Amino acid sequence: MNSRNTILKKLRATQTPFTDVAPIEQRRNMVPLAETTPDALTQRFIAEAEKIGCRVYAAEDAAAAFERVFALLNGDKQISAWDDAFLPMPEFSETLKTAGIEITASDNGQVRLGITGIDAGLASTGSLIFSSGHGKYRTVSLLPTVYVAIMTTNQIVADFETWVALQKERGLDQFRQSSNTVIISGPSKTADIAQELILGAHGPKEVHIILLP
Amino acid sequence: MEIQSNNFVSLSAIAIRNSEMQKAVSKGTRNGYDKRLAAMFAYGEEHGEAMRQQAAEAKRRALRQLPELLEMAEANMQANGIHVLWALDADEANRQVMDIIKRHEVKRVAKGKSMATEEIGLNHVLETNGIDVVETDLGEYIIQLNHEPPSHIVAPVIHKTKEEIRDIFIEKLNMPPTDDAAEMVAFARKKLRDIFLSADLGVSGGNFIIAETGTLCLVENEANGRMCTTMPRVHVAVVGIEKMVENFEDYATLTQVLPRSSTGQHMTVYTSMINGPKRPGDADGPEHVYVILLDNGRSDIYATKYAEALACIRCGACQNACPVYRSTGGHAYGWVYGGPIGAVLTPLFVGLDKAKPLPQASSLCGSCKQVCPVDIDLPRMLLDLRHDTIQQGLGDTLWNLGIKSWAWGNSSPRLFEMGGMAARLGQGVIGQNLPAPLGEWTKFRDFPSFAPKSFRQLWRERQKAQAQS
Ligand code: SF4
Repeated sequence: MNSRNTILKKLRATQTPFTDVAPIEQRRNMVPLAETTPDALTQRFIAEAEKIGCRVYAAEDAAAAFERVFALLNGDKQISAWDDAFLPMPEFSETLKTAGIEITASDNGQVRLGITGIDAGLASTGSLIFSSGHGKYRTVSLLPTVYVAIMTTNQIVADFETWVALQKERGLDQFRQSSNTVIISGPSKTADIAQELILGAHGPKEVHIILLP
Repeated sequence: MEIQSNNFVSLSAIAIRNSEMQKAVSKGTRNGYDKRLAAMFAYGEEHGEAMRQQAAEAKRRALRQLPELLEMAEANMQANGIHVLWALDADEANRQVMDIIKRHEVKRVAKGKSMATEEIGLNHVLETNGIDVVETDLGEYIIQLNHEPPSHIVAPVIHKTKEEIRDIFIEKLNMPPTDDAAEMVAFARKKLRDIFLSADLGVSGGNFIIAETGTLCLVENEANGRMCTTMPRVHVAVVGIEKMVENFEDYATLTQVLPRSSTGQHMTVYTSMINGPKRPGDADGPEHVYVILLDNGRSDIYATKYAEALACIRCGACQNACPVYRSTGGHAYGWVYGGPIGAVLTPLFVGLDKAKPLPQASSLCGSCKQVCPVDIDLPRMLLDLRHDTIQQGLGDTLWNLGIKSWAWGNSSPRLFEMGGMAARLGQGVIGQNLPAPLGEWTKFRDFPSFAPKSFRQLWRERQKAQAQS
C-alpha cells in the first residue's frame, strides 16, 4: 500500500477525536472596527500603516502622485514596476519614459525602487494585499530596497475577513487562478539579533504608500 | 538529529550555569511574553479570549475531519497545479526531496524556516548528498554557521547575545568587526541575496493549508520566505498533515491569531497564500511547486489521548511563558522542540523511553495552557505522560520503590504513625540535608522541618483535654 493510503487508513481506523467540541456560534473578526464609513476606514488604514512603519502620502490627483514618485526616485534612472493596467495612474510608463527613466518589469535585484498597485488595503492592520499575474510581477515588491505602492481610497476594505468574504462572493476560482497572493504589512524586518528590531532584512527597507482619492 | 532528551537533567544543569545564555533567553522570552499579551488583548480581554477559543475550535474541527480535509486539500492543490506527495516518515520525505533535486538538476538549495524539515533532519541528508543548502532566515542562518540546532520555535537563536552573534559572523564569514546589529543584518543580507538569486530550489515549511482552496500558507517577517518561494525554479514545501484548515474563514482567524501569539504583531510582514507554480504568461515565480504531506508519527498521535498536541500552530508562546524553558533554554530538551510543547511532542515523536525526563520538566503551573492560542491542555498531557511513564515500567527503580513504600506506609493508620515518628527521629539526627540518594533533592533546597508533634498526636491530646474539662 502506498503511503497516502496508509496514512488515510490509519487516520480513519481510529475513533474520531474532538467530536465533543462545541461549534462557535458567531464568528468574530479579529479586529473590531467601531466605524466603517469610507472616511473612517481611510483614516484607520493610514494610522495603522504608519504604525507598522509605512510612509503614507495622500495625493489629491495624479500630478501630485507623480511628483511624489519623482521625489522618491531621487535621481535614479531605472526602476521596476507593474504594467500600466494595474497602476491607478494614467500613462504611468509613458510619463516616466518621457522623463528618461527606464522601467524594467523584473530585475535581478540591482534596481533600488519598485512600484506596484494593489488589489486591496486592509484598514484593520494597514496592510496591502495583491495577487500575482501577468503584468503584476512578484519581484517588484520583493527585491528593491525601496518599495512604493500606489492605490486609491476605494480599494480600502475593513479587514482581512471582509476581503475573504469578497473573494468568496466572486468565486474562489478567481483567487486560485493566481499562483501567489500576498499580504504585506510594512517593511521587511528581523529581530533575530538579541530582539533588536532592524528594518530591511531581505526585502524592502522602506515602504511608501501613495494614496489617491 | 541525535536525540539527547534523556540527558535533560545534565543538559539543563549546564544551561543554567551559562550566564550569556541565561541573559539572552530571559530577555527574549520576557519580551515575547509581554508583546503577546499586548497584541492578543489589544481589543479587550473578553475579545482576545473569544478569538483564542475561535482559533481553538477551528483547529479541532479541522482535526476532526482530518482524513477528509487531506483528500480535499490534495485534490484542490492538484487542480491548482501543485504536485502533492505523501511521506510516512522522515526517510521517505528526505528521499522525495532528493528525487526532486535529481529530477530538476538542483545544485543549490535556499531554505526558509521550517520545523518540519528540522524534524526530518533534511539539511543533514542534503549535505551528505553533496547539495549546497543554506538556511536563509537570519536566526537559522546564524545557527547553521555555528552548527547548532534552533533553540526556540520562532526565534531560533534566542539563546545568543549580540556579541556572540557578532563573533560567529567574524569567525565564520570574516565580517568586518562591528557591534551594530543593523550592520550585521546588512552584511547577512548581502551574503544571502546571492543565495536567493543563484538557488535552483527553495524549501519552505507551511503554517496552514486551506483545504477548500488548495492553498499553502506561510507567515514570515524577513522576506526570505517570499524569496525562497519566488526566486528559485522549484519550490518544495514540507508540511505536517495536521496543518489542514477547513476553509478560508478559519484561515483568516488563524493567520491573525498566530502572529499576535508569537511575536505580538497584528500581521506578520508577509502573509503568503500560494496556489501553485507560475501561470502561463507570468514573468516570475517557480515553475514547479511540490507539497510533501508529512506524517512522521502524527497519525499515531491522532489515535491517542494526545491528539490535542496536533492542534499546535507553533507560535512559541508556551516556551516564552514557561519558567522551566526560561531557565534552561531550548537545547536542554535534547531534540527539535523545546518548552512545554516540546516536552509533550518529543516523547510522542521519538518514544517515551528516549525522552523520559521531559514530562517531569514542568512545575505544572499552567502558564502554557493559559497563553496557548489554541488552548491546548499541555499540563494535562504532561501529567498523562508521567502516568504512562510509570505504566510502561519506565519509571526510575528507586522512584518506584519509594512510591511503593509510600503506598504501603499509608495503607494503615498504625504504619502511617510509625513512619511519622521514624522521620521525626531521623531528621533530628541528619538535619536538613537528606542522605543519598534522596540527597539529590536537597542539594539545592532545604528539607522542611517536621512539626514537633503530628496531627494525630495533637488530636489525641485535645480529645483528652476536652474529656477532662
Ligand atoms: S502549544 Fe500552543 S502555545 Fe505552544 S507553540 Fe503550540 S500553539 Fe503555541
